[in-house]
Amino acid sequence: MALPRLTFVTGKGGTGKSTVAAALAMAWSRRRPTTLGDLDGRQSVARLVDMQTADAHAALDFLAITPRGELEAFIHRIVPLRAVSRRMLQSRTFGYVTAALPGLEAFVMLERMRLLAGDAALNDRFAVIDAPATGHALELLAVAGSLRKLAPTGRLNRLSSAVEEFLIDRNRFGVILTVLPEELALREAIEAAAALRNFGIECIGAILNGVAPALFTAAEIAKLSPLEAHARLAARRRELSEFADRARRELQQAGIAVTELPMIYETALDADAVGTLSRILETDFLDAQADAAE
Amino acid sequence: MKPAQTLELGAHRLVICLGPGGVGKTTLSAAIALNTAITGRAVDVMTVDPAPRLLDALGLGANEQTIQAVPLTGLSAHQGARLRALKLDPKQTFDLLIERHAPSAAARDAILANRIYRNLSTALAGVADYMAMEQLLELHADASTDLIVLDTPPAREAIDFLDAPRRMLELLGSRAITLLSAGRSAMRGGFSMIDIAARAVLSAFDRLTGLHLLYDVQTFVRSFDGMYAGFADRAAQVQALVRDRQTLIVLVTTSETERVDQACEFIDALTAMGLTIGAVAVNRMMAPLPAASDLADADLPAALKRKLKRNLDDFAALKRRETAALDRLRDRVSPGTRLIAAPDLGREPRTLADLTEIARNLVAY
Repeated sequence: MALPRLTFVTGKGGTGKSTVAAALAMAWSRRRPTTLGDLDGRQSVARLVDMQTADAHAALDFLAITPRGELEAFIHRIVPLRAVSRRMLQSRTFGYVTAALPGLEAFVMLERMRLLAGDAALNDRFAVIDAPATGHALELLAVAGSLRKLAPTGRLNRLSSAVEEFLIDRNRFGVILTVLPEELALREAIEAAAALRNFGIECIGAILNGVAPALFTAAEIAKLSPLEAHARLAARRRELSEFADRARRELQQAGIAVTELPMIYETALDADAVGTLSRILETDFLDAQADAAE
Repeated sequence: MKPAQTLELGAHRLVICLGPGGVGKTTLSAAIALNTAITGRAVDVMTVDPAPRLLDALGLGANEQTIQAVPLTGLSAHQGARLRALKLDPKQTFDLLIERHAPSAAARDAILANRIYRNLSTALAGVADYMAMEQLLELHADASTDLIVLDTPPAREAIDFLDAPRRMLELLGSRAITLLSAGRSAMRGGFSMIDIAARAVLSAFDRLTGLHLLYDVQTFVRSFDGMYAGFADRAAQVQALVRDRQTLIVLVTTSETERVDQACEFIDALTAMGLTIGAVAVNRMMAPLPAASDLADADLPAALKRKLKRNLDDFAALKRRETAALDRLRDRVSPGTRLIAAPDLGREPRTLADLTEIARNLVAY
């Protein structure tokens, strides 16, 4: 199976969504022009990729997708007269009503992703989205369906259907879940994968972040008792590794493909670190997926 | 670092924990509440959307919506110690508020069934924030309570939460919204061209999208007639409470680079609103590392020593990353702001014992 034109990266807060999205976009961009889109409007993801350290062949651009900006673009698209659309957007009442309308903002962001994926298919590009944390992300993905029910006829109804079709089209849309070797992050990823399956949305796989070798056997740690603080640190290291093993097993049992990224034991999680991760993703994820497709 | 046996929040009646999502706001809110309660004070903690296990630890089952006493036996709490926990349910609070302020049963039912209201009360983030404030006022009215710790909904922007009452009032009090509810016959005199244009804009939007919102908006706003004063009064009380001298605003974060960036944005946003951050609490701080010199004298195989050294170096790099992030944070807060650190347990806190361990190890740094 080929990878979709647009990859939506989500996971529990603090599991490295932005880092993984940045690294994946860098990996893609060495092969095809790639857009790294940011849904949180803070462009934290862009900060992670320093263009100067990026590969000379990389073709990467950034896109900040904000609710306000997308709503404006959407209104301008559906309202034929520029003067009318401008007036709409300036109206405070309109602002209140659109804010009260469930998911209109979320919907216009999904619509933007649909257009982005369509454009990527036409021009042989790829897009990676740094999405909100799992809970928010799942609400976002469910919005098109509920909006279609709210607007039984008309333009919005047709557009909602188009967005729903886009989300379940494996060639255009897929989700990557980021996980850390810890209980809550693992639970959340497994639940999210099940929710995606219910929506009919493709879960490409999980990226298990922060994996490090155990270094110590249990017998070795037992010998360390006179050095209590060191023993604790060694035990912590071993626990992390054991939990990573468990996470890998449980994810695979839940039918989720796992790609691992190493723990970065560096003072700064900078562009160099993201570069390192992007090279691992290139071989272990992009190539592995391409091989599986053949 | 000096151990802070208690945070000495005696001068405060309300602690509001704010911060980005995923930093453990609920855990820290509960720990701060517990830390104060065991000194023999009566404390309430109000939580929003906590992890299921934390709910269990606090005795709040998934569907428990009333305030629950948290058992403090075995925690060697002082005489008079009391801890209660309450889970916030924005939708239910809003419904109760409507029931209380609605002028008639018919008006109440009309609002509760209205499509805009149903969406407003679940979809609009500001409403959950506003409802947290409403429940807070209720708890605050109880004079036997020494301290209330409020865990806020995960807000992307700090102001989303503290600004909620004002935005709510603005919606209900908007002239143009009043015009919408007035219907066509009342569209004369007093209303500006802009108001009339707003109505036209909304009709056009309705036609284009097929949403037929106008009718719902009219019904919604009309049914709020007579309730505005009650809401305005509550919102003003909330605004005053947030700015009260006995209220301490605590910004919760972790030392991850991205969270510190977000925390700095919160600091700017709150300062711009004229609010003072009383304390910054950094959750999941790494424990101090052992000394490398211990290894030199230890009677251990050389290969094992090398691995221990490597492990120490690895964790030391993470510790330096953490220290750099905290220095950055310290530079951003005003000199009077207290800095509190909560330890990383190395596991998800899920029992009252875990919370107690965090509560007892809250330190000033």
